[in-house]
Amino acid sequence: MPEFDIDFTVNGRPVSRRIDPSLRLLDLLREGLALTGAKEGCGAGECGTCSVFIDGKLVKSCLMPAAKAQGASIETVEGLARPGELTPVQKAFHRTGASQCGYCIPGMVMAATSALRENPDAGLEELKERMGGNICRCTGYTKIIEAVEIARDVVAGKLPQTALDPEGVGASWIGHNTARLDAPSKVSGRLAYAGDMVMPGMLHMQVLRSPHAHARIVRIDTSEAEALPGVACVVTADDVPGEDGFGVFVHDQPVMARGKVRHVGEAVAAVAAESVRIAREALKLIRVEYEELPGLYDPEDALKPGAPVIHDYCPDNVVKHIPVRKGDIEAGFAAADVIIEDEFATQQVEHAYLEPEAGLAYVDHDDVVTVISPSQNITHHRHMLADILARPINKVRFIMSPVGGGFGGKEDMIYQGMLALAALKTHRPIRLIFTREESIACSAKRHPSRTRYRMGLTNDGRITAIEFSLLADGGAYGMSSEGVMRKAAILSCGPYEVDNLKVDTKVVYTNNTPSGAFRTFGGMQAQFATESMMDIAAERLGLDPFEIRRRNMMRAGSLTHTQQKLNSAAIDRVLDAAEASSGWEPGAPTVRGSTRGDLAGPGTRQPCTLGARFATAGADIETVKVAS
Amino acid sequence: MLTCDTYLMPTRLGEALHAWSEAPAGSRLVAGATDILPYAREGRGGDVHLPTMIDLSRVAELQGYEVRGNRVRLGANVVYQQFLEDPTLVRLLPNMPSCAVWFADDQIRQQATLVGNLVNASPAGDGLPPVLTLNGEIELARLESGQIATRTMPVADFITGPGRTELRDGEIATAVTVDAMEGYGGSFQKVGMRRSLVISAVCCAALVKTDPSGRIFEDVRLALGGIGPRPIRLYDIEDMLRGQEMTRELVARASLLPADRVASRSRVAYRRAVVSGFIEAAIEDALVALGAPKPTPEQREALHA
Repeated sequence: MPEFDIDFTVNGRPVSRRIDPSLRLLDLLREGLALTGAKEGCGAGECGTCSVFIDGKLVKSCLMPAAKAQGASIETVEGLARPGELTPVQKAFHRTGASQCGYCIPGMVMAATSALRENPDAGLEELKERMGGNICRCTGYTKIIEAVEIARDVVAGKLPQTALDPEGVGASWIGHNTARLDAPSKVSGRLAYAGDMVMPGMLHMQVLRSPHAHARIVRIDTSEAEALPGVACVVTADDVPGEDGFGVFVHDQPVMARGKVRHVGEAVAAVAAESVRIAREALKLIRVEYEELPGLYDPEDALKPGAPVIHDYCPDNVVKHIPVRKGDIEAGFAAADVIIEDEFATQQVEHAYLEPEAGLAYVDHDDVVTVISPSQNITHHRHMLADILARPINKVRFIMSPVGGGFGGKEDMIYQGMLALAALKTHRPIRLIFTREESIACSAKRHPSRTRYRMGLTNDGRITAIEFSLLADGGAYGMSSEGVMRKAAILSCGPYEVDNLKVDTKVVYTNNTPSGAFRTFGGMQAQFATESMMDIAAERLGLDPFEIRRRNMMRAGSLTHTQQKLNSAAIDRVLDAAEASSGWEPGAPTVRGSTRGDLAGPGTRQPCTLGARFATAGADIETVKVAS
Repeated sequence: MLTCDTYLMPTRLGEALHAWSEAPAGSRLVAGATDILPYAREGRGGDVHLPTMIDLSRVAELQGYEVRGNRVRLGANVVYQQFLEDPTLVRLLPNMPSCAVWFADDQIRQQATLVGNLVNASPAGDGLPPVLTLNGEIELARLESGQIATRTMPVADFITGPGRTELRDGEIATAVTVDAMEGYGGSFQKVGMRRSLVISAVCCAALVKTDPSGRIFEDVRLALGGIGPRPIRLYDIEDMLRGQEMTRELVARASLLPADRVASRSRVAYRRAVVSGFIEAAIEDALVALGAPKPTPEQREALHA
C-alpha cells in the first residue's frame, strides 16, 4: 500500500498520519479521525454535506485529495463550538426547526457560518447565493435561510440573544413551534447515521450489480474474488438458508438475484473485505455469465398477449388491479351536457434523500443477527429477514438508525439481507454504504403512470360521471405497488362527490427500476389527472376554477368514491384559504388573457439571478456614464 | 473510486516538470482536482487508477498573477474565487466576476483553477468564452536538456476539440495571459439545470466599451460556449457593432446572427433559441455594468413583437 506522510491541524489540534494517498480529505476525517459530522451525500461535489474549512476557506472535502491538507489548518463542524455548546448559527437552526432529517445540516451550518464570516451583513439573496452549493431535501430551505438571518442579526446586535432561544410552549403544544429534541445533535454533527457507525473488526461490503435489464444467470464464479487477500467472503443467492423473498405486499424479490436478473442495478453478488478498495477490486474478479432475455420497458407492452413473463408466479405481469365502482356511469354520461376526455402521464422520480442507503450488521454472542439501517419499516423487515435466514424471530434484530431522508424510498429491504448473510458467514461486523450512483440506480422510484380520463358534466359544472383508468409501471419487483394502486384508486376522483364512477388502477411488472413508495403514495399521479381535468372543465364551461370545485366538493354527509359516509369535510376551507392567499381574481380561465393581476404579485418567487454580492463589491468601482 | 500509487506535491516548476517527464504512462497532473474526483465514479470513468498524481497547487512559479502593461499574466494556480474577490482582477477583467459567480459554487471556486478549466477543454467549460474575449494566450512549459523552456499560443488555437488540446507530452500549462480591460463593461450568461454547480448548456461572455459620449460602441467582444466542439469568438458580430450607434434595434438584429453557429450534437433547436437571447442579454448586461439602465421586459418584448 502506498503511503503519504501528512501533518496538519484539525480543530486546533496537531495531527500526524501516514495515509494512503488515494484518500480524499473526507475519508481521512471520517475514517481516520472519526470526525463524522462531515457526511458523504454524493461524492461529486454536488450536495455540500462534506463542507469543511481549510485555512479559513470553506471547501468540499469529497473533492479534495487528503494530501492537499498537508500543513493546513482544518475546521470541521465538530470544532465550531466547544463540546456541549452551540454557536449562534447552530442555535438559530435549532430555533427555527431548520433540521429535519439532519443529514445536510452539518454542511448547511458550515455553509451558513462561511457566508457570515465572508460577509457579516449579507442580505437574503447573497446568503442564498453563498449557500448555493448545499442541498437540502426536507426543509425547502425557508427555515434554513430564516435561521441564518436570525443568527446574522443576533451577532450584529440587531436582535437580542433571546431570539436564538427555542420558543416556549404555553398551555397547549398546538400552535407553538415545539423545539426538536434531536436538533442539537444534528446542528452539531454529533448524530450518527448508519454510515457513520463503526465496530471493531468491521468489514466493508461492495455489491456487484446487473448490467442487464432481463437476463438468465447461467453461472457465477466467485472463486478468484474469494482468493483475493483481504476478502473475507462473497455472498450470492446460494447463501440464503431460508425462504428467499421480500416485499411490502408480495414477497417477490430475492435478497440477491436468483436465477435471473430483472432490472439494471439488481444485486448479483456482494463482497465483504477489509477495505472498500479491496472489496471493489474483488468485484472485478467475479465472473457472471448471463443469457439475455427479451425485456419489457413499457407498461402497455407488459399487458400484450405473448409478452415476456418477468415473474413465473405472475404470467399476466399484473402486480395488482384495484377496481372501484359507484353508481351507474352509463346513466351518468347520458345525463351530461359535455363529456371531456384526456390522457395524463407522470414520470419516474427519484427520492434523492441526502443520506444514501447504509447499514451495519453483526452477529452477537447469543447468535442474534442484528442489522442497523435507516429502514422505514423495521418490524416488517425483521419478520421477512427471519424467514429468509430460517431463524426464529428472537434471533433477528433490526435497529433503526436515524433516517437521513426517506420519503418512502427506504421502505424496501434492498440491502439489509446481504449484510445479514455476510455477517453470518464471517461472524464479523460488516458495513455497506451505497454510492449516490448506486442509490439512484437501485432504489425504488415514484411510479410512472398514464391515466385515461373521461368526465361528464352538466352545463352548470356538476360532475355526472367519471371513468378513470390508470396504468402504472411497477418495474421489476412489487415493493409497495399494491398499496400505491389502492391509494391512487381511493383518491382517484379527488375531493369531489361523484355519484357515478368507474375507477381502475393497475400496476404491471416491467424490467425498469422497481417503483415503490414515494410521498403521496399514488395520490399525486391521480390528483394530477383529476385537478387538470377540473381546470379543463372550468375553461370549457366558462366557470371560475374555484367555483367549479365548490360545486362538486365533498361535504359532511357526502359519500366518498368507496362509499364511506363523511362526518366532516374540510375542502371548503382549503379552497377559501387558497383563494385568499393566492390573491385570485375571480373568473373563468379564459376571460382575462395576459392582463390578469394575480400573477407575479408579492410573495411570488422571482427568476434566479446571481451576483447579489456585486452590489457591495462593485460600489467602489468607477462606472462610465452610458446614455440611456 | 480514484486510486493512485504515488502522490507528489512539488514546490518548484523544475521539480514538477522533472516528475512529470518521469511519471509512468497514465499519470495525471492535478491542480484543484475538482474534476478528476467526480470523473472517477460510476457512469463516467468508473474506478480510475493513476500510477502517479502530480499536484501542482504548491508550485511557486504557478502562484498569483502579475499585471504587465495592458496584459495580465494569471498563474496556473489562480482559482475562480479570486476573480470575484481580488479588487485588481475585478477591475481589469470585467467579465470574469460574472463568469466566476456562475461557476460551480463558492466552495469549489476555492479549489478550481481557470487554467485547469482551459486544459480540460470541455465544450461547456465556463472559463473558455471569457478567456477568448480577453485574447488569452496559454503558456506551456517543458524541460529541454534539463532547462525549463516555454512556448505560448492563443487559447483559441490551443483548444482543438472536446477534451483535446495542443498540450504535448511532458508539458505543463503554467499560466494564461489575458488583456487588461479596464473601463469595459463585462457580463456572462449561462443556462443549465440549476443555479449552482451546473454545467452550462450554453454560455456567452461579453465585453463592451462605449465612446465618451456613451452613445457609440467603441469596442465589443463576444464569445459563445456550449454550442459545438469548442467555444467560438464572434468576430463578425463584433465588427457589425463596433463604431455604431448603440440602439436596441441594432443589438436585436446582431443577436439573431449566431444561431446557425450552433453545432452541438444535442438540443440544437433549444441552443439556437438560447444563443440569440444570450447575445442580446450579454450586451445589455455589459452596458448595465457600465451604468446603463436595465431594459424592462416590456421593452424587450416590444422589440421582438
